[in-house]
Amino acid sequence: MFKKTVTVLASSMMLIGALSACGGGNNDEAANGKVTINVWGMGEEAKSLPKIVEEFEKENPDIKVNVQALPWDTAHDKLLTAVASKKGPDVLQMGTTWIPEFSSAGALMDLTPYIEQYPELAESNFFPGSITTTKFEDKTVGVPWYIDTRVLYYRTDLLKEAGYDQAPKTWDELKDAATKLKARGGNKYGISLDVNEQSLLFMFARQNGSKLIDENNKPLFNQPEFKEAVDYLNSFFKDGEAPIDLGMDIIPAFKGDGILPMFISGPWMIKLINDQAPELAGKWATAVLPAKENNISALGGSNLSVFQYTEHKDEAMKFLDYMSKPETQLKWLELTNSLPSTKKAWEDPVLTSDANLKVIGEQMNASEPMPLIKPWEEIAQNVLTTFEKIYRNKNADVQKELDSFNAKSEEILNK
Amino acid sequence: MKGMSQSKAPYFFIAPTLILLTLFSLLPILVALIISFTNMDLAGLADWSNISFVGLKNYIDVLADPIFTKAILNTLFYVIVGVPLVILCSLAIAIMINFGANRVFKAFRIVYYMPSVTNVVAVAVVWGFLYNPAFGLLNYVLDSVHLPAVPWLQDPIMAKISLILMAVWRGVGLNMIIFIAALQGIPKSYYEAAQLDGASTWKQLIHITIPMLRFAIFFVSITTMIGWLQFFEEPFIMTNGGPLDSTTSVALFIYRNGFQLSHFGYAAAGSFVLFIAIIVITMVQFKFQNKETDL
Repeated sequence: MFKKTVTVLASSMMLIGALSACGGGNNDEAANGKVTINVWGMGEEAKSLPKIVEEFEKENPDIKVNVQALPWDTAHDKLLTAVASKKGPDVLQMGTTWIPEFSSAGALMDLTPYIEQYPELAESNFFPGSITTTKFEDKTVGVPWYIDTRVLYYRTDLLKEAGYDQAPKTWDELKDAATKLKARGGNKYGISLDVNEQSLLFMFARQNGSKLIDENNKPLFNQPEFKEAVDYLNSFFKDGEAPIDLGMDIIPAFKGDGILPMFISGPWMIKLINDQAPELAGKWATAVLPAKENNISALGGSNLSVFQYTEHKDEAMKFLDYMSKPETQLKWLELTNSLPSTKKAWEDPVLTSDANLKVIGEQMNASEPMPLIKPWEEIAQNVLTTFEKIYRNKNADVQKELDSFNAKSEEILNK
Repeated sequence: MKGMSQSKAPYFFIAPTLILLTLFSLLPILVALIISFTNMDLAGLADWSNISFVGLKNYIDVLADPIFTKAILNTLFYVIVGVPLVILCSLAIAIMINFGANRVFKAFRIVYYMPSVTNVVAVAVVWGFLYNPAFGLLNYVLDSVHLPAVPWLQDPIMAKISLILMAVWRGVGLNMIIFIAALQGIPKSYYEAAQLDGASTWKQLIHITIPMLRFAIFFVSITTMIGWLQFFEEPFIMTNGGPLDSTTSVALFIYRNGFQLSHFGYAAAGSFVLFIAIIVITMVQFKFQNKETDL
């Protein structure tokens, strides 16, 4: 009887012991005199990070780098845990839109005092649009790593048939081209507009001269500039030039007959089209976005930040410095097709000789990030549902929907 | 001395369960309750001094949130349609499988149980293909018999039904096993007596099998009901709550506010509303069950 009790007790204690052991940190650096820094990269491309790290380790033999690649969709949850437990990586990749949220939570170290010490990190090395994404309030909490911006992808052959030797240059031309492409008949459309893309509406509103949010932190989402952009986008759905719920991925629909002969997306699509539809070579091209008042695109990408609670600040900064070298960034471009954030790298022939990349370089000069405020994510979620109500219901009162979206955004901003 | 150790013995036995239950269920529930009265967000998570108590504000806000109301209605729709469907289907299948002694019937047990052991993400992805408006098998079949295509996941009501179909398909297996086990526990002598009296198979089913399964049915209906009140994976993976929030369940609403928008206090308040609803519904069911057994 007693023996059994002991066994049960012992096994339950062991179980608890095993469970709590998971919480322990890994302090193995003391063993071999090396400093280990942990780097959290995100998305598919982070899997290539170890290759870059190898060379960094060669240059800095006393630093060992552990790379952990997190999928984008779970990265946010994982970062929340890191913030809560104050245990996390030393260096982490930050999507530009996450900077305000994690910075205001105090998770990102202020790099301002360090930037002078590392020549590669000087602000003048980077595109100004990217630099704005690294700032939060009066702090610099990141270094631009790679960038992306949205451009227009189109089928040159099909647009030629529709009478366009060049890509549409204005909103009117884009609408006209889409109408003509739709007129091919069958199950074909003119353009694909990704309604799950948070920046779509805001990007077009900016092109129409909307400031989105004014100096007094008041949203401008029910103003005429914004409404016109919504009406313009909605017209593609109303007139059937853009499909709702087609259920096809973009590349199968882009190739062949060109069910979707135009779409707006980021630079990662270049590689995907080349890989998945090599037969399309020469029949497609990219172009800067069509303009209304301007053709400002949505700037995105990733920054590298240092985790507030790191114990290896200097080593982490060394890593950031290394990642910002033009040579490293060109190597990274070769490995993952991520576009360099340093202006110097863009002078390299690899980037100047490629027609598509040249377009992206050109668009970079007219690209702005989404407003860098903490509640932006919530506003952006709301814009998706607001626009869904508009494009799914042909009789929707656009002004009314935008009024209520604006009111809700105001409430969110005032929180 | 001996009496002492003997009176303590039971506590040792339940200690592991109690400790684990406290650590992983009771304590988190208590913490969530406290959080639901605060304005906890990401900044609060990093530094506790940023948290302040806001009283019942979260509860008032969440109950006034039109999306939360919609999520409650959607969840009720899932429960009212889904739960009876799961019970009827699994009971029918269990009885039919139990009728046959052939090996084939045993094989069918596995066939029906398979969906329950398959990863829900894999299931959702495959069903997503079936429901695809352009290439989906279901619309292809409809098209080949000249029926109009169905907007499986695109129409607000149809999308709910599509998710229910998939969840029923997934949920039948486990409950079927419970029913089969209960069916085999019914003494054969009852049936023999009934046969002697000349009862038809149908009468045996109505007057012996179903009443004898009362406890199994009760158990299955409670567990299924609780499961469906927490309906989450299917809309999360397949529709992400769309179109127009028509498939957003309460659990998905909580997840979105808590983990995507980092409004932990608000989400905790939402989850407490769900928690209380589940307890109330379960208690009501227990009440009904007691009355029946009294009869």
